[in-house]
Amino acid sequence: MKTIKTIKTMKPMKTISKVFLLIIMSVMLSCSSDSDDDPIPQGDYVNGYFIVNEGNFATGIGTLSFVNNDGTVVPDVYQTVNSEPMGNTLQSMYFYNDNAYLVLNGSHKIIVTNRYTMEKIATIEGTEINNPRFFVAIDNKGYVSNWGDGTDATDDFITVINLETNTVESTIPIGEGPEKMLINDAKLYVNLKGGFNQNNQVVIIDTTNNTEMSSLTVGGVPNSIEIDKNNDIWVLCRGNYAGTDTAGRLVRIKDDAVFVNFDFGMTEHPEHLSINTAKDVFYYNLNGKVFSQSIVTSPSEEISGFDGSYYGMTIKEDKLYTLNAGNFTSEGILKIFDLNTDETQTITTGIIPNFVVFQ
Amino acid sequence: MKHWYFLLYGCAFFGQNDSINLLDEVKLYGNFSSKINAGYQIKILNDSIINKRRQSLGNLLQNQANLYFKQSGNGMVSSISLRGSGASSTGVYWNGIAINSTLNGQTDFNTLSANGFNQIEIRKGAGSVLFGSGAIGGAINLRDKVYFVPKKNLNINLGLASFNTQNAVIKTRLSTDKIYTKIVIDGAKSNNDYPYLGTDIVNENAKYKNYHLKGVFAYKINTNNQIHFFTTYSNNDRELSRTLVAPSNSKYKNNENRFLLSWKNFGSKHNSTLKLAYLNEEYNFFFNKQSSEFSFGKSHEYITKYDFNYFLVHNLSFHIGIENRFTNGVGTNIQDKERNVLESYFLIHHELTHKFNYNVSVRKGVSNIYKIPFIYAFDTKYVINSNFSIKANFATNYRLPTFNDLFWFASGNEDLQPEDSKTVELGLDYKLKNITFNITSYLTKSKNLIQWRPVTSYFWQPVNIQNVDSYGLEIEFAVTKKIGKHTFDFQTQYAYSISIDKELDKQLIYVPLHKVNAILNYNYKKWSINFNQQYNGEVFTTTSNTQVVDDFWLSNLYLYKTILNSKINIGISVNNLFNSKYETVAYRPMPNRNYSIQLTLKI
Repeated sequence: MKTIKTIKTMKPMKTISKVFLLIIMSVMLSCSSDSDDDPIPQGDYVNGYFIVNEGNFATGIGTLSFVNNDGTVVPDVYQTVNSEPMGNTLQSMYFYNDNAYLVLNGSHKIIVTNRYTMEKIATIEGTEINNPRFFVAIDNKGYVSNWGDGTDATDDFITVINLETNTVESTIPIGEGPEKMLINDAKLYVNLKGGFNQNNQVVIIDTTNNTEMSSLTVGGVPNSIEIDKNNDIWVLCRGNYAGTDTAGRLVRIKDDAVFVNFDFGMTEHPEHLSINTAKDVFYYNLNGKVFSQSIVTSPSEEISGFDGSYYGMTIKEDKLYTLNAGNFTSEGILKIFDLNTDETQTITTGIIPNFVVFQ
Repeated sequence: MKHWYFLLYGCAFFGQNDSINLLDEVKLYGNFSSKINAGYQIKILNDSIINKRRQSLGNLLQNQANLYFKQSGNGMVSSISLRGSGASSTGVYWNGIAINSTLNGQTDFNTLSANGFNQIEIRKGAGSVLFGSGAIGGAINLRDKVYFVPKKNLNINLGLASFNTQNAVIKTRLSTDKIYTKIVIDGAKSNNDYPYLGTDIVNENAKYKNYHLKGVFAYKINTNNQIHFFTTYSNNDRELSRTLVAPSNSKYKNNENRFLLSWKNFGSKHNSTLKLAYLNEEYNFFFNKQSSEFSFGKSHEYITKYDFNYFLVHNLSFHIGIENRFTNGVGTNIQDKERNVLESYFLIHHELTHKFNYNVSVRKGVSNIYKIPFIYAFDTKYVINSNFSIKANFATNYRLPTFNDLFWFASGNEDLQPEDSKTVELGLDYKLKNITFNITSYLTKSKNLIQWRPVTSYFWQPVNIQNVDSYGLEIEFAVTKKIGKHTFDFQTQYAYSISIDKELDKQLIYVPLHKVNAILNYNYKKWSINFNQQYNGEVFTTTSNTQVVDDFWLSNLYLYKTILNSKINIGISVNNLFNSKYETVAYRPMPNRNYSIQLTLKI
């Protein structure tokens, strides 16, 4: 985008010949070395980040807010661009190549859009998208975690989608309540959070043949998953809430073996594990506080000044993005804390904001 | 002795149209009597209006009484908001017994059939002192009246309507001067698969069927004593419809069973009623209708209620009542718990002059769960002249927490206290031959309203936290005109409701600022045309008042003709005449234009 601006400012300079201009342009283009493979993104939603807003659960509409780098906000990007409501309960959004994949839990569908213009490309729905939760992709294949019927513990599955045709290729049966996923080394790691129930597994699927390789017991209700700079995978477990309340747990998965990093105290239920850009320090939310921990030291320490019980939380380049859903029946708040200075920025979100997704 | 009273009251009310004496009034209307509610607006819907055709209670009240209902799609859950109050702040009574769900405190107006009742009393405004917990926006009493006059009839109503809807009501009554029996069997089913206007979506997963059985048996022992027995069973089986943006595969079944035995005793200076009742409610929610898995909730309630009215002198009476409710509730997510509430009220009715009367009343209760506050009320009516009268009242009220609030697994809060509110109301009535006009304004200050709030982002708990100020205006106008064989009957109602959450300084969600209703009836010989026009103002769907459900106009037209000496009545109705696209809950479209034909046989 910066390059384009430069060209525009040069245009009025009539003294410079067109030939010279062409030379300058070719020099500039060759400067941005990857440009042949990765053309400059075009669209209204390039410079900034999105907030995923679930919308009211029963009868609401999921929305996407776009926050430009200058701080201006477009409150309902999808409706603005496509002139139609997106659907019920926007659970998550994932970027792959030039596309965005919007997972609509209540409407049981995935909407595919261009990630920069947000123009709709396709809708993927049918019986093989049932109570969808999260999306990840590798090698032009998308993986969607689905709860199926929330009251049935045995019908949960992962949908495999061909991203060239945007059609369902196959489904992989899985244990109850698949939630967040992560891809590493052609392997798909799936948190089995438990859906309406509770579970305690991470399942590993080989994406080259889409079969389950192994299932690891981690801790009660694994709610988030991140990968560090050493390719170790970290899973934060909330702990069980129904029946006997169990404590939260942080585990590290190294070479597909589980190591318990930390067992939280009774009634301690951590949420929202998020790793920094350098992938060596992670953050999470517990008992209305924010904690951080280096991947090499333990235990974590509380960071004061960022208090809140958040509905979503993400760290990105020394800034902590916290999402507060308020009373869940009106707009929420994104509060951004700068880890180095005491500066904060507050942005009004849509209804029930749950994730920040960066371009 | 009775005649003596009649005479006295006849004199006292000389010059007024209203000549029923107080004793008879209280006998006829119980706690909904306009005498002991002198300062309140009471609207009575009679048999001829209620039973013209088969309809849900919600539709009847919306058409006839300008009440606002929030329906999650046609035939789905329908809850009321009266005078800007919440759904659990309007008391619903069945022959004087409170029947709002003990689990959520509300009545679903689509699960009650209006048919078979022969009187519905709507008393707007606060009334906890006389009616108990929750009667803050108003009180609605569904009555089966008993008449000891020789009569027998059989009434059969059959209906066919759009979207594959069928209904039937069979009603039989047999009475003598000693006994009265009434049996009503009532059922309806529908595919309810109307198209969503402007889309290619159909209202899927919205089938419903319901049936209601009712029996009334009464025996007049002698002039002073009567025994009445009422029972009802209703069964509702509904799919829970999709929305504009999300499909559904859920189903909801609920049934209610009620028994009431009452003994009425009339003396020369008193009358009393002893009521023993058993109420049972149960729901099953199927997240997936194909699955056998469901969650449930149920409750049993045992009620003993005694009301005693004593007429000291011709212009002074007192009214005392005591009621005990023992409730047991349990569910998939509700702990198995018991609650007992014992309450008592006392009211003095005084007609100081024939133009001025007033009531003073108090109520106090005790419970094993919470402390019930002492409440009191004052209401009065002043007749200025033969045209004008003024009504006014001031009342304090409470609403007790429900079983869900108290005993929901993990989240329920047993420390909850009753909500409380204060209400003041002032109204002016105008009457001129065939015209009536009324204007009423009210103000309600509610405190400690129970709200479910997120304690953390994933854990919610009910707390006494919300404070709301509600105020508004209601206007009613009615005129009847007869020209030869043509009879015109027109009434219109307007309600303006402001209801402000004090913390947010915003209007409550799903409370319309404006609501208008108009009904025009035209009768000519055997023909009758009824036109109903409704306007529903926009409602907010976010507590920040940033999103709305649009306002809408809705028109309904009914055409009736009686034939064969009024033995047969044929009715055709066109609902949503102008095919307007409307919703009462966001993203849940209501039906497009639709038709029904009703046939009623009277034997």
